[in-house]
Amino acid sequence: MPPRAYSLHDRSVSKPAMRIAPGRVSVVLGGLGFLFLLLLLRALYLQVAQQDFLQNQGDARFRRSMTLEATRGVIADRNGEPLAISTPVQTIWASPAGMPEVSETQLAQLARLLEVPAAEIRSRLADKKREFVYLKRQISPEQANAVMELGIPGVAKQQEFRRYYPAGEMLSHIVGFTGVDGKGQEGLELARDAMLSGKHGKRVVLRDRRGYIIDDLAAIEPPKDGQTMTLSIDRRIQYLAYRELKNAVEVNKAKAGGIVVLDGKTGEILALANYPSFNPNNRMRLDPEMRRNRAVIDMFEPGSTMKPFPVAMAIESGKVKPGTVMDTNTYKVGSGTVRDTHPKPVMTVTEVIQKSSNVGTSKMALMFPPEQMWTMYDAVGFGRNPRAGFPGEVGGRLRAWKNWRPFEQATMSFGYGVSVSLLQLARAYTVFTADGHLLPVSFSRVPAPPAGQQVITPDTAQKMRDMMTKVTEIGGTGVRAQVLGFNVGGKSGTARKLVDGRYAADKHIGLFVGFAPATRPRLIVAVMVDEPKGGSYYGGTVAGPAFSAVMGGGLRVLGIEPDAPANNTLIPVNQIPEIREET
Amino acid sequence: MIASSRERYQTVTVLDEALMWAVALLLSISLVMVYSASIAYAEADAATQSQSFYLVRHSIFMVVALAAGFVAFQIPSSFWQKYAGKFFLLALVLLVLVLIPGIGRVVNGSRRWINLFVVNLQPSEVMKLAAIIYVSDYTVRKAHKLHSFWQGFVPMFGVMVVVAGLLLLEPDFGALMVVMVISMAILFLAGINIRIFAGMAVAAVLAVASMIVLSPYRLKRVTGFMDPWDDPYGKGYQLSHSLIAFGRGEWFGVGLGASVEKLFYLPEAHTDFIMAVIAEEFGFVGICVVIGLYAWIVVRAFQIGMTAKKQERYYPSLVAQGVGIWLGIQTFFNIGVNMGMLPTKGLTLPLMSFGGSAMLMNTIALAVLLRVDYENRRVIRGYKA
Repeated sequence: MPPRAYSLHDRSVSKPAMRIAPGRVSVVLGGLGFLFLLLLLRALYLQVAQQDFLQNQGDARFRRSMTLEATRGVIADRNGEPLAISTPVQTIWASPAGMPEVSETQLAQLARLLEVPAAEIRSRLADKKREFVYLKRQISPEQANAVMELGIPGVAKQQEFRRYYPAGEMLSHIVGFTGVDGKGQEGLELARDAMLSGKHGKRVVLRDRRGYIIDDLAAIEPPKDGQTMTLSIDRRIQYLAYRELKNAVEVNKAKAGGIVVLDGKTGEILALANYPSFNPNNRMRLDPEMRRNRAVIDMFEPGSTMKPFPVAMAIESGKVKPGTVMDTNTYKVGSGTVRDTHPKPVMTVTEVIQKSSNVGTSKMALMFPPEQMWTMYDAVGFGRNPRAGFPGEVGGRLRAWKNWRPFEQATMSFGYGVSVSLLQLARAYTVFTADGHLLPVSFSRVPAPPAGQQVITPDTAQKMRDMMTKVTEIGGTGVRAQVLGFNVGGKSGTARKLVDGRYAADKHIGLFVGFAPATRPRLIVAVMVDEPKGGSYYGGTVAGPAFSAVMGGGLRVLGIEPDAPANNTLIPVNQIPEIREET
Repeated sequence: MIASSRERYQTVTVLDEALMWAVALLLSISLVMVYSASIAYAEADAATQSQSFYLVRHSIFMVVALAAGFVAFQIPSSFWQKYAGKFFLLALVLLVLVLIPGIGRVVNGSRRWINLFVVNLQPSEVMKLAAIIYVSDYTVRKAHKLHSFWQGFVPMFGVMVVVAGLLLLEPDFGALMVVMVISMAILFLAGINIRIFAGMAVAAVLAVASMIVLSPYRLKRVTGFMDPWDDPYGKGYQLSHSLIAFGRGEWFGVGLGASVEKLFYLPEAHTDFIMAVIAEEFGFVGICVVIGLYAWIVVRAFQIGMTAKKQERYYPSLVAQGVGIWLGIQTFFNIGVNMGMLPTKGLTLPLMSFGGSAMLMNTIALAVLLRVDYENRRVIRGYKA
């Protein structure tokens, strides 16, 4: 077929004066080539040179390290009764950044279910740049499920644990509490946090913009749950102790009070309470005064409850015997005068204890050089931290013997010029209950009775118990501390409080520390009533009844056989002359 | 020359196979990557409801575009030259129509789409091809006057001002840049007076600069790309995420489907920012392959153009090179935007991004290029073009 005319025509159209310069083609093609080269160089720069920076930026946006919460260990009493348990709760949060606008009805539903004002939810969702805001923390799973059923995009739930304290206010000082983050903040929750909290697990994940997990970036570290912590506390005795202490503080219109119950054979703390207290489950109005674990962290001058120690020292040395008669007239030591509330010219050593004579006690103390008395006090733990394992424990204050003046030594024998905590004081009494051994005290259950430190001989301890039993009998300062069916040994104390360096005439601490059954001691109870204003302020009067109730109840709870079953009537305390002591 | 027409048809290789393979490869990559980039987005979006929503649409666009390309391939280049003016006029009419509220649809503040019920037509895409067809024809028609300022340059300049004005009204700054580069490059190739060209280039730069300064929204886009880390959660959000995608890709990428950026972090992952997803999933190696394929298409377009030129078929020669310039410059613009070298423009990556109009016009342009090549081969063998 011959070429057609129009093909010639085609060529003629593009013929005239046209020229495409090869140089210009090279320029254009070269230009494009140059731009492509720029692209490759830029890609190389971004993907290789800048990769670390860019990947870090990326990680900041989509890499999340998630904590897999370990369940906090249970705190239980010595019989396995729970005192602190963690219950699963849900927290509702939202991601305003990836959220469509929430309608008014949805907002109202959310507000109703969360019990949060709608305006507050709206303001929390207002910042569209934020990717995490709490809407409400720690609500019940049922409540959380109801919220999730609303199906509002961007609202999510997350499991958390809430600590619950079944024993409430009666044990709050010992157990303490955790913060909203689950960390221990007070008490044993703080002291044993590492053991209780276990080890949180970790999961590093990639998340898409909506918060969904896409991938795990590292092996999941599973959480290790916290261990159960078994306390030495007996919940039943604790309850009793708290109830009676509260009663004692209220009846005596006192400022505060503390109580310690020890196992006299093992040194375990069976109960330890303070009043005022607080409810750890609801800490909305928490006064620092309520939070003080007074029995452990507050120091005070113990007054007459100190007297058994110098007397024990005198008995131990053989310089006196329980029946030794002493001149107990008021006398001068150095710059000061020592006198008794009810002066008597003559007393036996037993009567000195029973009637709490300052004169008799100080005379026995002054039979020894300061160093020896210091050694005795030191040996029963005064001035030393008892190390029961509670945060903020104090060791009290015992001055170095080198600069004791004689009058100071005399007053120290009846409990002035020396400071102790209630726990320390109760512990010191273990030398009488554990055949002369000072036992370590503990908040944890101990498997076997500890050896302790021999301070006095078993014989001296026996003699002291006999003498101290007289305190709760007719003619003693602690008749109100008697317990039906048991012989009770103890010592009352009434100390003036130091206010701005001077002993105040109207501020006292009433104390009673004792043990029972006196013949085979098992429990030590120490009661302290701070600033009683209900008329009487004598230790035997204000602290004695609480002591009696807790001791009696505690012995019953433990099933201790009465050592004086025949003694089945109580001495009617309001029909006998009250024996008081001023120290 | 004595053979029957059927035999003649068989003796000439119909298609440039190397070019075809490059295009086929890019389209295949496009299918996979549009699916990969859109899968999560499509599944999560209540309006699309299916993870393959964009894949299905993209496949349909591609089939339609290939059919259109097949038809376009049957059309001799002389036809395009003959109807260049009318085609250009049609594109202009569409550009006017899109500005009429009710016809033009506004998306993201720009009126760029004409709603054709089933699909949306983007007139600026039509204008890109029309510019190649028309400017090539203009330069061939006025070849002897191209040295003249008043007779060669000014008429073309007037037309371009109209086009620019219409595109700015949408606004579609990206398309304007592409059309201007195409037009100026063809004028340059066709031998326009170098001084006029230089003056025009300076004027264009000044015009662009002034538009940027005068229009706050464009200024914001310009400043945003300079330092996306200055405000990575605001103005620099999209770009910072695109750059992170590149950084995560390293040499070999995180693997197909493993991109994190496409999971709602990077907006427009399946359209304008698809290169970021490719960069993240296939790394620098993937970038090199894709850019290499585009480079190959551009080089082939120029080779085809040079062959046509040797045959003194100047119009097809300019059209072929024009297609190469279009694909080359738009590829540069798009990837440059993805990598933070240029301000965000809303330009798609040719043959790769999701989008019907762009895919259709790209394929037609490539069909025209292949047609020129086919005609070249026929002419070499002594047949009519």
